[in-house]
Amino acid sequence: MRIVSNLITVVIFSIFSSVFAQQEKPDTLIILEAVEIIESPVAPQSYIINSLDRRSIERLPARDVGTLMRRIPNVSGIRKGGAMLDPVVRGFKYSQLNVQLNGGHKIEGGCPNRMDPTAAHVDAEDLRGIEVIKGPFALRYGPNFGGVVNMKTKQPLPRREFGINVGAIMAYESNWNGFKQRLSVDGGNDKVFFSLSGNMKKYGNYKDGNGNEVKSAFEKYNYTAQLGVSPFKDNYLIVSFDRSYGKNVMFPTLPMDEREDDTKLVSLDYKAGQISNTFTAFRAKLYLSDVNHLMDNKERPFSDTVVAVSDIHARNYGYRLDGIFSFGKNDVTFGTDYEHILKDGDRTKTRILEPTMPIMTEKLWNDADIQNNGLFVLYRRTFGKLLLDAAARIDYNRATSGELQLLKMGNVVYFNDDVNSTYANISASMGGLYQFSKVFSLGLSFGRGVRSPDMSERFIILLPIGYDNYDYLGNPQLKPEVNNEVDLSATLKFDHAGTLTGGFFFSYVTDYITAELIPETVAKPQTKGVYGVKRFYNEEHVFLRGFEITYRSPASKKWGVLAYAAWTRGVNPEVTKYIIENGQVTGKETVKNDPLPEIPPLEGTVEFFYRFFDRKFIPNVNLRMVSPQNDISQASAEDKTPGFILLNFNLSYEFNQYLKVTGGVSNILDKAYYEHLNRRIIGGKGNMYEPGRAFYINLFFNI
Amino acid sequence: MKMKHIICILPFLLLLISCQKTSEKQISYIVSKSISGFDVNYRTADGTLIKEKVEIVSAEDPWTYSFVAEEGDIVFLSTIYKDISSAINVQILIDGKVYKQGSSKYDTVSYVTVSGTVPYE
Repeated sequence: MRIVSNLITVVIFSIFSSVFAQQEKPDTLIILEAVEIIESPVAPQSYIINSLDRRSIERLPARDVGTLMRRIPNVSGIRKGGAMLDPVVRGFKYSQLNVQLNGGHKIEGGCPNRMDPTAAHVDAEDLRGIEVIKGPFALRYGPNFGGVVNMKTKQPLPRREFGINVGAIMAYESNWNGFKQRLSVDGGNDKVFFSLSGNMKKYGNYKDGNGNEVKSAFEKYNYTAQLGVSPFKDNYLIVSFDRSYGKNVMFPTLPMDEREDDTKLVSLDYKAGQISNTFTAFRAKLYLSDVNHLMDNKERPFSDTVVAVSDIHARNYGYRLDGIFSFGKNDVTFGTDYEHILKDGDRTKTRILEPTMPIMTEKLWNDADIQNNGLFVLYRRTFGKLLLDAAARIDYNRATSGELQLLKMGNVVYFNDDVNSTYANISASMGGLYQFSKVFSLGLSFGRGVRSPDMSERFIILLPIGYDNYDYLGNPQLKPEVNNEVDLSATLKFDHAGTLTGGFFFSYVTDYITAELIPETVAKPQTKGVYGVKRFYNEEHVFLRGFEITYRSPASKKWGVLAYAAWTRGVNPEVTKYIIENGQVTGKETVKNDPLPEIPPLEGTVEFFYRFFDRKFIPNVNLRMVSPQNDISQASAEDKTPGFILLNFNLSYEFNQYLKVTGGVSNILDKAYYEHLNRRIIGGKGNMYEPGRAFYINLFFNI
Repeated sequence: MKMKHIICILPFLLLLISCQKTSEKQISYIVSKSISGFDVNYRTADGTLIKEKVEIVSAEDPWTYSFVAEEGDIVFLSTIYKDISSAINVQILIDGKVYKQGSSKYDTVSYVTVSGTVPYE
């Protein structure tokens, strides 16, 4: 009976899930009443999907989504502050990744320096899982260049009988003196169901392994209300509203801190299943993201002279409609999507040492506007032992903006009114998974993913937004960037010895978007201390390649081992390096085969755990080994990063269905270290170090 | 049974909606040691820049202006005098403690400007 009940729940959930496409990994369901997790069978995929489920998240000191994602092989994060890390997947970053919520909800951050990337607007406690689909193969989610990051949030579920659940989380983390709390209420019946939840996080500065305090404090609050109805069999409609606030989020590596953030996320999801024998599903999603982002330099030394405050309003709204049709062994999905990004904002500079306190206002974004219409088709068929996936999409992308201009004392510093661009981009992928035997399978995928330039690359007006020390200027006439990728993956699965999976990828990126120095006669730098102005342009081509390998012991054993390793290297065959002397560009030289910047080094992780007391008590030891990064970009003036070894420990104990405790120690050896992707602290203090030893505890209540 | 559990969970709800510490600060601008008056520019609580000509009868008679500000607000005070035999001392106090100060003597050319933002705690 229990199995039947679980199966019914899994079926309902799979219909209800926002990402239950034929080409997607099924979800993990968390049933609050019984506090149990039911794994549905993993559908085979021809390309690599990595995920982090709720149970794994609960074992960790989950401060933000970006930090959590670093647990996924070949996924890293660019750290600029205490939290809100910007994900990097196989060396692809920023708009090279399609980061979204619940399979289609896009969020445009406000900060030009990406202190609030998409993942920063989602609370880690709202997540039921994170899914990373690597490569340009999954084309249902919008334009996909280097991969899709799908953050799946908790959603209300229909129940056979009316009921209400109340859940709460209380957590503390030492070192940061950080607290987080959550309260949620959800309930309903088979027709109407709902959830209400609220989260708060308040973290202070942490100390690194050397005992030095790092300015890393942040405060985040949010509440979510969701209502679902199921008026007919196999028909589900959910309306969701989320409002989140950020306050005093420190970014010591950036010229400003986040003072306030006010974000509203609204979505409407409709799903209908088994409409006819051939029309098996229809899905519709409408969404709106509205971000008001306020940042300033008031806690920087140079605010003694000029107080700068930037106020940005970013919106992203759109939809996706798709239908799945089954013709015998053929599954075909047809769909269309639309995304509209709008961004506007000013920077106000108050010169507080001048007797009349003059105030100047500059445009950071001048009504910048990008629209993207997409049409896509997905195809899947099984030929005996071969699973075949194919996908194609066309995107019609157009962008415009108010004039790109910068005025100073009435004088024109920079002006460009050639701001319109239109592109038609074609992406396609094909992959196969061949099951040679019960033990061994091999996957091979080819894909071409095209992305149009993003807001910053097109319209940024003289701001230091790069890794290096230059002001950056947008180029509205940039061409789209193209990733041509091949992935080879293999799985060895033994019932009593575990599963070994591995994959290799090779990417040939054409029209690679990067930046080059332009003469001061075109644009003069506006930021104190930078070497000049770089403008975005399309480099001919670059290469990326790498691998991931994972071993997982059998789930049936009480003991467990999880081990994984990953490596990526990117190469620019020919790039210009600017020679800097006494803070000025004095020359340039050509560098052959320069490594791409901000690529993490080889690293490996091994976890050992044991399931005591009928899996209620699970201690886990985690050893992470990161090699030095010596493949550094000369053109971007990268520094080498030393390697390090970290030892972590965590445990979870389920007292009963009402109470669960997790906790642990991060960085047990109090190692002073920084990741290669951590930005440098402004003021010449070197790279931002990671936290030293920290103890944490999470209490989960559920009634 | 369920109600009992809900009552148990109420303290967490209360914690979630618990009060925030106030970030209000008492700001005082003080100009002193002038023997004959001065021109002053200062920023008020609502961000307005006020320009005033202040007449002083004695160096023992300081000019003051006070208001309530929040963390991060700009505080700004700038003065100049025209009497070559005069002097001036300007201070910005936050909650009674000197935050910024400056002074000049026999200098009718340069403004004495003190400014900053109310520090975050």
